[in-house]
Amino acid sequence: MTTLLEARYRTVLRLLPAYYRRAREEEMVEVYLWDVDQDTQDQSRPTLGEVVSIAALAVRSRLAAAGAPRPYALLGSAVRHFALFAVLLQAATAVVERVLGLTWSSTHGSRQWDMFLSGFTGRGPLWTVVGIAEWVLPLLWTVGFFALVHDRRRLARAAVVLAALPTLWPLVGPLVSDWAVSDPWFAVANALFAWLPALALCAAFHRDAPPAALPFGAPGMVYAACCVVMGASLVLLPAMADSAWAPGTCFVLGALAWLLLRARRPDRSPDCGAVALAALGLLLLAVRVAAVYPWLGVLPAAFVGGALAQAAVLALLVVALAVVARRDLTAVSRGT
Amino acid sequence: MTQAAFFVLTALADQPRHGYGILREVGELSDGAVQLRVGTLYGVLDRLTADGLIALDREEVHDGRLRRYYRVTEEGIGALDAEAERMAAGADAAKQRIAEGRKAPGPAVNPAPHPSAGPGPGPGLAGGLA
Repeated sequence: MTTLLEARYRTVLRLLPAYYRRAREEEMVEVYLWDVDQDTQDQSRPTLGEVVSIAALAVRSRLAAAGAPRPYALLGSAVRHFALFAVLLQAATAVVERVLGLTWSSTHGSRQWDMFLSGFTGRGPLWTVVGIAEWVLPLLWTVGFFALVHDRRRLARAAVVLAALPTLWPLVGPLVSDWAVSDPWFAVANALFAWLPALALCAAFHRDAPPAALPFGAPGMVYAACCVVMGASLVLLPAMADSAWAPGTCFVLGALAWLLLRARRPDRSPDCGAVALAALGLLLLAVRVAAVYPWLGVLPAAFVGGALAQAAVLALLVVALAVVARRDLTAVSRGT
Repeated sequence: MTQAAFFVLTALADQPRHGYGILREVGELSDGAVQLRVGTLYGVLDRLTADGLIALDREEVHDGRLRRYYRVTEEGIGALDAEAERMAAGADAAKQRIAEGRKAPGPAVNPAPHPSAGPGPGPGLAGGLA
């Protein structure tokens, strides 16, 4: 007869994917109930620690590595690619924005320098801490990226979580201070752009996952190329420069290069790169639209036109990547 | 090799065991320091199986419930032996350093005298500085 405790354990085990439950559920229930007194089973519950350990196993078995059933191995590969590409984009964005901002402020007179410093001072200790954290912590995206490609997973996880923290301030700040966010949709989109990659990295690069590897190029070269493209997009078209412009431009060029190299590659074995890029493109499109929306009809037509053109290119690219991803997944399901 | 994997392999080194037997054995081997959760145990078993370090020995059904016994493979014994050697070498190096430190003069490496231990081999705080 099934006791209440057994039913509760089986409920917790439903977190695991079906293939895993088929292989392990009976055995795991036997372990759980081994030394539990039959008479007390209806009064007991799975502990929080047991639930957490099953949840962690569920994440690992769903975002699986090679050897697991194909849908889970593909999902794992796609999430790992998404995390890698997004962290690269975030890393280059953070460095380029800060280097250009610092260069501009320090070379355009004392007034610009004072404006730069006013971001950290003059508004009380809370805002000083927030200002410094918002400037410094995003630099950890670069630490996270290089830690990831060198398979230092713990360091990568810690770095990206810390790097993503400042994006929470626009959401949390209004709750703890009298500050009101002027653009809540952009704040949400920006937080998603930081936290989805950070959480994807933490979940998908588990102990059983293969090391991160870019589809082409050495990590340092690819990172430097992203920085150059972003820096050039801001320097050459300063009228377009909002926070979505540089990563959007870099993504467009990077995704086009990826599609081109993929088309020329003799071995076209699908690696879920298209799925990951399509998801990242969609996320960037949300940031792009949220960034330009409040300024429609306010800022000059050149800026709004440039931002909308970038949004249109991003949308087209997302559709193209989705088509490629669909073809890849169809090929995989046919076993080719 | 992780600590959990090391203890699971050690638990299986002498005889095949089932899931609960491994959990209990790991607890005893580590003097209670390592208490594996079931989710963690099966993550480790999956990894060791994929690496060929353990294998399914047999299955039994008791009171309608499945009990699977795992055994360590030759490759697993080799990996455990190598890990044990590495740990022993590390422990030897630590002991040697501690012994060398005790022989060397200087206050930084002298152990602090315990109140009940009486006079130690080196000068105490009062005697050394007075």
